[in-house]
Amino acid sequence: MKILLALFLTLPLAALPAEPKPEEAKPAAEEKKAEAPAPAAEKNVSGSIEFGYRWVSDVQGSHETYRSLVDLEKGPRVFDVDLSMQDPSKRLFDRVDLTASGWGGEPHSSIRVDARKSGVYRLLTDYRNLAYYNFLPSFADPTMTGGTFLNQRAFDTNRRYLNADLELMPGRRIIPYLGYTHDSGFGAGITPYVSDGNEYPVRTRLRDKTDLYRGGVRVELNLFHVTLEQGATKFKDDQFVSTADRNFGNRTSTLFDQRLMLSSLSQAYGVRGDSIYSKLLLTAAPASWLDVHGQFLYSRPSSDVNYSNNARGLFALLGAVRFYNGQYDALSAESKQPHSSGSAGFELRPVKKLRIVESILTDRFHNASSAVLAEQLFFGTAATAGEQLSFASLDKLVYNFNRQQVDVIADVTSRLSLRGGHRYEWGDAQVRSGALDLRGREAGELKRQVGLAGFSFRPLRKLSLTMDYEAGAGDRSYFRTSLYDYRKIRARARYQLIPSLLVAANFTVLDNQNPTAGVKYDFQSRSNTLSIQWMPRGGKWVSLLGEYSRSTLESDLTYLDPLDRARERSFYRDNAHVASALMDINLPAAGGAKGKISLGGSMFDSRGSRPTKYYQPVGRVQLPIVKHVQWFGEWRWYGYSEPFYLYEGFRSHIFLTGLRLSL
Amino acid sequence: MNVQVTLPVALEKARRAAGLFLIGGIFLFCTNGSAAKPAEEAKPAGPATYVGSEACAACHDDLFKAFARNPHQVVEKVKARGWQGKACESCHGPGSKHAESVSPDDIINPAKLDAAKADRACLKCHLNQPSQANRILSVHARNDVSCVSCHTMHKHGPGGGEPGLAPRKAAVINQQCASCHSPVWAEFQRPHRHKLNENAMSCVDCHNPHGSFLPKLQKTASANEASCLKCHGDKRGPFVFEHAPVRLEGCKTCHEPHGSANPKMLTRHEVRFQCLECHANVGAAAARSGTLGGVPPAIHDLRSPRFRNCTVCHMKVHGSQVNRALLR
Repeated sequence: MKILLALFLTLPLAALPAEPKPEEAKPAAEEKKAEAPAPAAEKNVSGSIEFGYRWVSDVQGSHETYRSLVDLEKGPRVFDVDLSMQDPSKRLFDRVDLTASGWGGEPHSSIRVDARKSGVYRLLTDYRNLAYYNFLPSFADPTMTGGTFLNQRAFDTNRRYLNADLELMPGRRIIPYLGYTHDSGFGAGITPYVSDGNEYPVRTRLRDKTDLYRGGVRVELNLFHVTLEQGATKFKDDQFVSTADRNFGNRTSTLFDQRLMLSSLSQAYGVRGDSIYSKLLLTAAPASWLDVHGQFLYSRPSSDVNYSNNARGLFALLGAVRFYNGQYDALSAESKQPHSSGSAGFELRPVKKLRIVESILTDRFHNASSAVLAEQLFFGTAATAGEQLSFASLDKLVYNFNRQQVDVIADVTSRLSLRGGHRYEWGDAQVRSGALDLRGREAGELKRQVGLAGFSFRPLRKLSLTMDYEAGAGDRSYFRTSLYDYRKIRARARYQLIPSLLVAANFTVLDNQNPTAGVKYDFQSRSNTLSIQWMPRGGKWVSLLGEYSRSTLESDLTYLDPLDRARERSFYRDNAHVASALMDINLPAAGGAKGKISLGGSMFDSRGSRPTKYYQPVGRVQLPIVKHVQWFGEWRWYGYSEPFYLYEGFRSHIFLTGLRLSL
Repeated sequence: MNVQVTLPVALEKARRAAGLFLIGGIFLFCTNGSAAKPAEEAKPAGPATYVGSEACAACHDDLFKAFARNPHQVVEKVKARGWQGKACESCHGPGSKHAESVSPDDIINPAKLDAAKADRACLKCHLNQPSQANRILSVHARNDVSCVSCHTMHKHGPGGGEPGLAPRKAAVINQQCASCHSPVWAEFQRPHRHKLNENAMSCVDCHNPHGSFLPKLQKTASANEASCLKCHGDKRGPFVFEHAPVRLEGCKTCHEPHGSANPKMLTRHEVRFQCLECHANVGAAAARSGTLGGVPPAIHDLRSPRFRNCTVCHMKVHGSQVNRALLR
């Protein structure tokens, strides 16, 4: 990908005007003259490139948490690229826009190229490479009480994503298009191998890949538009788990005087999947007072699975009170999931100041799967001294969801719009029940009536107020934590106090309750946010963006202790203060260019079930050196602490310096 | 108690009324398929007539030059669109009166119109495009968030330090969304979150601001799957043994995608509460509640650290290809 980056960085050279042949020069000049709006002194390449070097101080505290949250390392980097190129000859392209960030070893790299030639094509490509490192002992560490800090669900992986869309004849009535998307993940991690009575953390290697190919055509006419798209995906997911080290697992005690252990393991998952999908979109404006839309979406993903497991050691069959020394499993399985969705609706404007919006939507799929598992248990060391078992299983999941909604929007005056509406959601589902549930299958139902209201009020040109209110009366819900009897309020106000100062306030509430016996769910979240934007004299010298948010979340729910089925209450609290600000101070111009000092950062301070403090102050200086070249230096500090998990705190200074080239 | 009984009845009536609207709408659609065309709507009302973009350039030279690099320039050039040489007036209406009087009252300025009216100016051309296929389902359209709230019409476009018609850089997109959705941006200051602050992602990677088939303007992947699966392909399945909440209510059942104080962006501080809050249906109460989630597991003694993090053993929590208890 570095070669690709180099290629894109040299693209500006391609945009430079080529030496025209004498006979070509004149017609090109005439053509340019004919296009009146094109400015005469247009630059072929414009934009900026930032590159430099980053230093990271020794991380104080947990390096694993630092990597899980920040993961920045020292070294030379290309921090930011933002270029626009125009080809005066318009041979290959009219214009190419390139943006990129985080290249040269950064954990998060991206590049986006948008190339187009008017009436001929538009090619949009997007590539990202995101490192995903997660090692937080507090998340999953049964051995913590023994003084071992280990996350048994840890990952050191990368996810790569590439998307390319090619549109032919953009701007015409009929527009064919092609697309390709690639998504992959790879890396290593820690995962437990689970057997009766013990689980053994072992290393794992992960690799998955999805390729999506699609093509379609858009027909855009004055009265209607239709998009037809057909796509197909290929998917594979390979996971390998292996170890040859003796591993005593998480169980610290013996079982009938025997110490359970894993001496070797070889486990492989091989999943191959594919899918086709179809998409039909329709919009129409049959009359000036009516807009109509509809869509039908269908996909049919399927998976084929081959799994093998070969484990040696000393294991227990708790149900039979027996020990065994080895296990070999082979599984073959398949699953299919046809998925159909559709929606239709219209916006009706019977009179000038009234809009009626009606929509109906359905989403339904079922998952059908079958698996055959052959299992052999070995007693002693002889491979022949085994016991063979085989299991076949079928599983099914059914889901049907429907939603109908009508909204009436009235522009009462030029300053006041009122909204009111109603939504009805209903559906049903069938799923596999828990292992101890003798029914085998569970059926769920959803029925929810929701009232909608809201307004937009602009009493003054500088003041706007909007509010949305939603209240739902649940009759049935799928899960204990689902929306049931709830009300949701969102209000927002913006006021331009003086020309240089804009103040905005947001207020949101979600109150959800499920009073059903045995559930008693009581959930409330609130968020109040105040933000200001201060730009005296249009931000010529100073500008300030600031935001403060106070949020609270309370959740109480009855659950059952798995051991004795006693009723317990699960309490979750999160009371957070969040603030972020950035002040830019522009320095007097020197040599035609201005320098800038930026100060700000963000802070997060929460109390409740998992108190956490996370501070990220930042300071940046940018000074012109010569025309088109600026030097910048930046300091950033990361401070993270959790009172309940002190061993996960960290602090780190990060410095970076570099040059910004403006073209 | 009465309120609880009567409210659904009232809502049911409203639903029936909505159904009548739908039937009426379909009827009108069928009987008025050849009604007034958008082109007719654009005819000048009153004495004003079209004067052409060159006339606008006489005074608005800066906007005229900037517009030359704007993607909307195609309106000026392509004959088929019907506005060749009159791109300015395609949005601002006929400008002869304004050209004579130089009064802002004599020209349409979409930025100063009510959201619905401003949108009609844009939708004259953009309504019949795939980006608007879900406009009616969009909370932005309902809440009068007009096109010009996010799109800048006259700017150069990406590069050169200007945000352009539609911002392309992740940082600019995120800043634009955060200017209204400040509570959401506050969530991104939490420690466990997607990498928006690093400019590796933007809001529009997951959300389609023009509207979506899914709630919260969530984008779709592979026709009708949630946008989360665009990057997290390993969670797509289908799985031999599905975990129902993932399919029925999506990733948000357990994760806070914008940011959380809890590892893995979970909605609870400990995994056991995350799981047991649903897996707690027993006896008659469960039947009455009608909720899914099954009975809680046996033999798990929560006093032991081994059983506090359910995903240590039930690791394939997004769905398993091998084991019905999601152990492998």
